[in-house]
Amino acid sequence: MGTVCGVAVVDDELSLVFAALADPTRRAILERLAEGEATVNQLAGPFAMTQQAISKHLKVLERANLISRSRTAQSRPCALEAEHLDAAVDWIARHRQIWADRHDRLEQHLAALQARDKGMTP
Amino acid sequence: MTTTGELTFSRVHRASPELLFDCMTNPEHLTHFWGPTGTTTPVGNIVVDLRPGGVFETTMVNDADGSTYTMRAVYVEVSWPDRLVWIEPNIEGGMRTTITFNDLKDGRTEVITHQTNVPEAYMSAEARAGFATSLDRFEGYLETLLS
Repeated sequence: MGTVCGVAVVDDELSLVFAALADPTRRAILERLAEGEATVNQLAGPFAMTQQAISKHLKVLERANLISRSRTAQSRPCALEAEHLDAAVDWIARHRQIWADRHDRLEQHLAALQARDKGMTP
Repeated sequence: MTTTGELTFSRVHRASPELLFDCMTNPEHLTHFWGPTGTTTPVGNIVVDLRPGGVFETTMVNDADGSTYTMRAVYVEVSWPDRLVWIEPNIEGGMRTTITFNDLKDGRTEVITHQTNVPEAYMSAEARAGFATSLDRFEGYLETLLS
């Protein structure tokens, strides 16, 4: 393959959110944060992971704006940023509606095809 | 929390997998139902090159103001009449759509649509390969015109 043409690096917010949500550990971290703020130490506890590994996951979540980290306290507790999750939920609802409508129309089209076929048989 | 950027939509139709697969891939059929709601997709606005690496493009016309929107996808898998996969590289970081036609053996077929945002690294390799194939084919076509 020669040149890679026309494939722009799409770095929009939603794709960052979905990439962040694709990992089960990160989803578990978000679930924990839904209960309230937590420090890296507190988050590392239940996961049998090093703080370093947890910190890596937190960076991905922070980049996707799914969490924020306090700059003031030295422990830098993490908090969930729920509105960015809502964007992901909206995406799913929107696409589900498109497919539901599409299949409603497909059903009508199939009925029309059947009626036509019946009309053509002597 | 179950959100993963994935969507699964299932619908049972009273028709064979063959007919449903054709409906999803033949412009004469697609024009009747592709939508989305509030738009029309004339048959001349639908391009289907039904093979892996082939393009699937639909230009939808807004019923209200006549504005248009083009969906540009590339087929990744074409397995008549069981499975159809395409990728839209430019939508929200890359979106993969898989349609499975599941024969219920009683005259009905379950059509399962699975859509997912794909991580960019994965999407790029696959979609780039698809686009490169299309471009190669286009170049071949141009050569036949010029020779």
